[in-house]
Amino acid sequence: MIYLGLIALTTLIANGATRLRLIAVAFVGVAVAAALIASATASIAQTAVTASAGLAAAGILFVAARDMRYGEDPGWRLWLGTFTAAIVTPIAYASFRTITGEATALPLLQDGSGVIAEVSGVWLLSSGVAVMLTARSAVRVSLAALLLVTGVQLLARLVPEPHLAVTLALAWLEVVVALGGAFLIVNERAVLDG
Amino acid sequence: MIVGGPAILLAIAAVAAFGLRKRLVVVTWLGLGAVLVAFVLVSVTPVETTDRLLDLELRATGLGRLTGLIILSIIAMLLIDVYFDEPAYNFFPTALAAGSVTLAVLVVASPLVIFTLVLVGSLVPVGSFTFQIHDNHSVEAAVRHFSFVVLGGSLGLGALALSASLPKDQPASTLVLLVVLLFVAFALMLAAIPFHTHAALLAGEAPAAALALYFGVIVPVTFIAFVEILAGSGLLPAIVQVAKVQDLLLGIGLLSAFGGALLAAGANDLRRLVVYAVISNLGSALVGVATLSGPGIIGGIAIALVTGACATQQLLAAGTLERRAAGQRPNVTDAPLAAGAFIAGGIAMIGAPPLVTFPGHFFVDLIAYSVSGSAGSVLVGAAVLVLIAQLRAGVRLFAGSPEGWHVEPRPVAGILGGIILIALLVGGITPDAFLRPIAAFADEFLKALRPL
Repeated sequence: MIYLGLIALTTLIANGATRLRLIAVAFVGVAVAAALIASATASIAQTAVTASAGLAAAGILFVAARDMRYGEDPGWRLWLGTFTAAIVTPIAYASFRTITGEATALPLLQDGSGVIAEVSGVWLLSSGVAVMLTARSAVRVSLAALLLVTGVQLLARLVPEPHLAVTLALAWLEVVVALGGAFLIVNERAVLDG
Repeated sequence: MIVGGPAILLAIAAVAAFGLRKRLVVVTWLGLGAVLVAFVLVSVTPVETTDRLLDLELRATGLGRLTGLIILSIIAMLLIDVYFDEPAYNFFPTALAAGSVTLAVLVVASPLVIFTLVLVGSLVPVGSFTFQIHDNHSVEAAVRHFSFVVLGGSLGLGALALSASLPKDQPASTLVLLVVLLFVAFALMLAAIPFHTHAALLAGEAPAAALALYFGVIVPVTFIAFVEILAGSGLLPAIVQVAKVQDLLLGIGLLSAFGGALLAAGANDLRRLVVYAVISNLGSALVGVATLSGPGIIGGIAIALVTGACATQQLLAAGTLERRAAGQRPNVTDAPLAAGAFIAGGIAMIGAPPLVTFPGHFFVDLIAYSVSGSAGSVLVGAAVLVLIAQLRAGVRLFAGSPEGWHVEPRPVAGILGGIILIALLVGGITPDAFLRPIAAFADEFLKALRPL
C-alpha cells in the first residue's frame, strides 16, 4: 500500500513539474518506486537492470535540458492527467483481476501476489496516456513516454515469459525512448531559439 | 548465436556507424559491408534452426528469411541512395539500427519481446526524420510520430502483458477488451485510418530516404510482427469465438483500405500519394488477416512485403524528382529515369500482373468476396481509387513534350527503381519461391487458430 502511495505521489510530482530538469529528477522517484514494487516478484539482477534504465533515462532528459529554465507548464493538464489515472485505474483493475477473482490482502510493503504491480502499472499507463494526449511540446511527450514504458515494465512482471529477455528488452526500450525524446527536445528548442 | 548473428552484426555496425557518421565514404562502405555480410548470414542459416540467447528462444523461419533478405536489400539501396543523392549522416546508423531490430523481430519467439523490438524499431527512424529544422515542420512531424508510436506501442504491450498473465477461462468481455486494445495499438503503429495523421504529417516534412526506411522497412515488419504476435500470444482461439473482434479488424482494414485510397486520389504531392497508397494496401492486408483464412493470411503478408519494396521505389524517385524540380512542380524533364521508376512503382503498388504484387491482392480480394460481397467491393473500389491516383500523378508528371527530357546526371533513384522492378518481375514469373515461405507461416497461424 505504501508503494502505491509512493508511485502516485512521484507521478504527481513529475507531472506537475514545470522545468525539464525537475521532471527528470522527479522521474528518478517514479523509477525507484517502480523498482521497489517490481522487487517483490523479480530477481535482484532484473530489478537492477530496470532501475538502471530508469536512472539512465532520467539522466538523458536532465542533460537534454541544458539549463534549469527549459520546460513546459502543465497548468490544468496536471489535474486532467491525475483524475484520468484515478478513474481509469480502479476500472481497469476491476476488469483485469489477473491474480485471482477473490479479495486480496494488501500488505503495507512487499506484495508477492502482483496486485500492487498491476495497479501501479495501470496507474502509470493511464497517467502516461493523459499526459501524452494533452502535451504541447516534446518535454511532456517525453515524460508521458517514460511513464508509459515504466507502466509496461510493471505489467510485464506478471507474465510467465522469459523474464530476463523481457526485462532487458524493456530496459533498452526505455533508454531508446529517452534518447528519442531528448533528440526531439533538443531539436524543438533549436527551432524555438531560432 | 547463429540465428541472432545477423541482427547482432548490424547492431554493432550501427554503433560503429554512429561514431563514424560524419565520414560519409567510410560509413557508407561500413554500412554496405555489414548489410552484405548479414545478407549472406541470413541466406545460409537453415530454416527451422533454433537457438537460445539468454532465456530467449530464437528460431529461423522461411518467412523470417524471406523478409530479412527483402529488408536487407531495401536498406542497401537506401544507403546507396543517401550516399549519392541525399547525404545525411544521421541516416546511416539509423538505417543499420532499424535493420538490426527488424532482423531480431523475425527470429524471436516471445510475443512480448517481438512487440518491444517493433516499438524500438519504430522509434529509431525518428533520428533521421528531422532536417533543415528552421525551414520546415519536420520536428513537429517527428514529435507527433514519436507520440503516436509510443502511445500505441505501450498500450499494445500493456494489453499483451495483461492477456499473458490472465488465468484461464476469463469472461469474453475481458479478452475482447484486451484484443481491441491490441488492434488499436497496431492500427496506431501502422498508421491505419483513422490513426494516420502522424504519417500524413511525416509524408510532407521528413526526407524521402527516411520515409522510405519507415514505410519500406519498419511498417511491413510491424505488420508481420502483428500477425506473428497474434499467432504466438494464444489470443487467436478467443478471437475466433467472438465474432465482433474479427469484425473490428475487418472494419479497421476496410476503412484503411478505402480511406487511404481516397486520400491518395486527392493527394497533391508525390510523397503523400505514396504514403496513402501504402496505408490503403496495408488496410487490404489487414482485411486478409481478418478473414482468418489461409489465402487471406498469405495474401495479407505478401501485400505488406511487396508494398514496402514499391514504397521504397516510389519514395526515392519522388525525392529525386522534388530535389531536381527545386521548388517547382516535379516533372519528367528534370529526371526522366526517376519518373519512370515512380510510374513502375505505381504499377506495382496497385498489384498489376505480371509483377509479384499481383498474387497478394488477388488472394485478398477473392477471399474478401467470399466473406462478404460488400467487403470485396470495398477492396476493389480501393484498388480502382489507387489506380486513379497513380494515373493522375503520372499524367501530371509526364505533362509536356519529350523534347526537353534530359537524363539526370546521377540517376541513382532511376537505377534502383529499375532493379526493384526487375526483382518484382522475376518474383511474378516465379511466385512459388516468394509465396511458399508465407504459406508455411500461414499453416502455423491456422494451427494456432484451432489448437487440438
